Amino acid sequence: MIIELGYFAVITALMVSIAGILAPVIGLKTGNHGWIRAGRQAVTVNFILLSLGCGALIYSFLSRDFSVKYVVMNSNSRLPVFYTISALWGGHEGSLLFWAWILAAFAALAAWIHWKTHPAAMPYLLIIESSLTSGFLALIIFLSSPFERIFPAAAEGMDLNPLLQDPGMVFHPPFLYLGYVGFSIPFSFAMAALLSGRLGEEWIRATHRWTLFSWIMLTAGILMGAYWAYYELGWGGYWAWDPVENASFMPWLVGTAFLHSVMVQEKRKMFKVWNLFLIIVTFSLSLLGTFLVRSGILSSVHAFANDPGRGVYILIFMSVVLIFSFGTLVIRSNRLKDRIEMESMVSRESAFLFNNMFFLIATATVFLGTLYPLLVDTLYGTKVTVGAPYYNKVFLPIVLVILILMGIAPMIAWRKSSRDNIRKNFLIPAVVAVAGTVISAILGIRQVYPLAAAAIVYFVAATIITDMYKNSSYWASHSGTTLLKGFFKAWYHNQRRYGGLLTHVGVLVLILGIIGSSSYKLEKTLILKPGDEFTLGHYSYKFHGLQDVQGINWMGVEALFNVYKGNQFVAEMRPQKRFYSGGSQMPTTEAAIQPRHMGDLYLSMTDITQEGWITVMAFQNPLIHWIWYGGGIMGIGVILILFKRKRREL
Amino acid sequence: MKGWHVATIVALIGIIGLFYAGLGRDPRSIPSVLVGTEAPSFTGPDVQTGETLSLDAYKGKVIVLNFWASWCQECRLEHQNLLSLNGQFRNHPDFVMLGIDYQDQPGDAIDFLNTFGSTYPHVRDVKGTIAIDYGVYGVPETFVIDKHGIIRFKYVGPVIGPVYSHITDQIIRPLLEGKELKQS
Repeated sequence: MIIELGYFAVITALMVSIAGILAPVIGLKTGNHGWIRAGRQAVTVNFILLSLGCGALIYSFLSRDFSVKYVVMNSNSRLPVFYTISALWGGHEGSLLFWAWILAAFAALAAWIHWKTHPAAMPYLLIIESSLTSGFLALIIFLSSPFERIFPAAAEGMDLNPLLQDPGMVFHPPFLYLGYVGFSIPFSFAMAALLSGRLGEEWIRATHRWTLFSWIMLTAGILMGAYWAYYELGWGGYWAWDPVENASFMPWLVGTAFLHSVMVQEKRKMFKVWNLFLIIVTFSLSLLGTFLVRSGILSSVHAFANDPGRGVYILIFMSVVLIFSFGTLVIRSNRLKDRIEMESMVSRESAFLFNNMFFLIATATVFLGTLYPLLVDTLYGTKVTVGAPYYNKVFLPIVLVILILMGIAPMIAWRKSSRDNIRKNFLIPAVVAVAGTVISAILGIRQVYPLAAAAIVYFVAATIITDMYKNSSYWASHSGTTLLKGFFKAWYHNQRRYGGLLTHVGVLVLILGIIGSSSYKLEKTLILKPGDEFTLGHYSYKFHGLQDVQGINWMGVEALFNVYKGNQFVAEMRPQKRFYSGGSQMPTTEAAIQPRHMGDLYLSMTDITQEGWITVMAFQNPLIHWIWYGGGIMGIGVILILFKRKRREL
Repeated sequence: MKGWHVATIVALIGIIGLFYAGLGRDPRSIPSVLVGTEAPSFTGPDVQTGETLSLDAYKGKVIVLNFWASWCQECRLEHQNLLSLNGQFRNHPDFVMLGIDYQDQPGDAIDFLNTFGSTYPHVRDVKGTIAIDYGVYGVPETFVIDKHGIIRFKYVGPVIGPVYSHITDQIIRPLLEGKELKQS
């Protein structure tokens, strides 16, 4: 009964969202404000209805209602409560509903927050948000309903995919969705600006926090996915350039470009068309991600169902959004002329322009790599894969350029930078970079990329530190206090800038993690019998034998390893192979991970034979934790910007 | 119309067109390089009796190899079809069918065969090497080997629906009759 109520709520939500499109349209035509208010009621009611829909599905999960198909497919009675709730987004149908719910929540939130401050944009915002909601709701109701029942009811459910029974996987999708869907608000504001003709800086200021919020959620979602892949999939890596990983990375890249280029419009009233273009591309790529995952058009670890019916629907939906938004941009862009010309190539705005160009080139390389197999298959019927070698060759150099710009851009002046200014800001960092690189080379870093990356990291870190030092000492002498107090004062007066710089520090840490863990990774694959020993790097591993282990809803076998450095005992490691109940799933591999000096010793048991022999992949991943530490620092940086006090900055 | 207007429109049409063209395809179907090459030989214990079975013992026959596992849902789905496929040809002197039990616990595999029935022998892939030799990366996968020991057909996924009749009518029967296979 409850599930039917949920279904009914979602059907009602579709009708309400269609009303939510029409009411503001009428409001715009008649000038009657009441209709626009009705549009706001519609998004609010929609949020409540979709909450009921999600609630009904969660209730069915928790009450183990195995007459509901989605519950049968994605849970069973032994599934822990935590995962039973997260099973809501464990499958295709439920994750679409969850996505629609987040969309409705953001739409309602935006409508209430910006109601008084942005009355002119409001009707357009409501129309676009309701259109997006109705598009997703129609897909849910007509092609992928999680509310379907089966007769007769099943006695027991299949199971949630064991790979998803993991805390990392519980949080990874919601964060990604918050990021993807969050970009719909800046997108809607941009479209409102285009459609209403109010093409000033208003929409940029209104969406500043939305953009940052979505961006950091997307960042968190991607990094959590990487972390999950790292310890759950057992292949020793965290990023495989899988099409669906790329699908989340592309909106991130363009979103990052957007995040920076809006600053140019804020300060210099330039890049107007460009910013609209970027946010439209960002949101389009978010939709593209949904399409790639849900249509099964590309071969990926994520694309679960190959369902051309749904694929066609999402393609049509996406095409409508793309054609409408790019079409509007093309038609309206003539009204937008930057009245201000670039004054010098050596200025912050030109640095931002280069930043944007390289982010877009980076996106294009990922886009090409992702779609090339599809293109070749469609044109020639030949199967190809594009993997890490392509991206390492093409993508890495672009990243290095972006990193250099990351050091330069915050330190050069708007409009025009004098030679003097450049010498003052970059002499010390350049010296530090050269010295640091030489020292690194002496210490044994000899590969080209790590050395180049190290040079850039030294350079950027030095620019940030000298900048902070200068500002701190300025504020210290200005108010006659110590340097430390000056530092906090500088921070207090420039929280946005410093939050940004801290985010850059996070990026540097993350880059060091990537370089360390990929260039200095050690790996070995071995077949061992009990009593065997092997060494990897400075560590030796002794395999003692196998033993059975058991969890709430799985049985497993684990291998016992003792790890030594020289003669000194370091740790015991137990890689596992798990068989989940439900009996329908491939055994999963639980890697044993032993943190060691900010890197990991990593063992993954891929195979067990009857005689007690095992196949083991052993890895040593130096600095790999820095990837996630870097993400954390980026998060803190963004939070500091999000929660800065409202005051004029110097 | 400015240059970037045209570029945007062309790019949009191109991308949407590509997606539309790609929708009907199955990105996972990969033509096997093994088809047309000699079938790797193997030996291994029989799942039920434990005695050693060898592919070489069946030289000169048309052999159907089916990789399966007790934990595999799709294998349950195709199991009745495999039994009836064997039933259809088992009286032919040149036909033989073998199951290969992949990444499995012996007890589970025996339970599976007891529950769902078995009319042909199954080899346990003890070290996972048979699967590696045949390039198997998931179960079920089915191979057909001709009288000269050459792999003539490979299918990834359960043998159900049209796949069943394709294998019996277009592959096994012509091979038993010594006819050439139609290029598909």
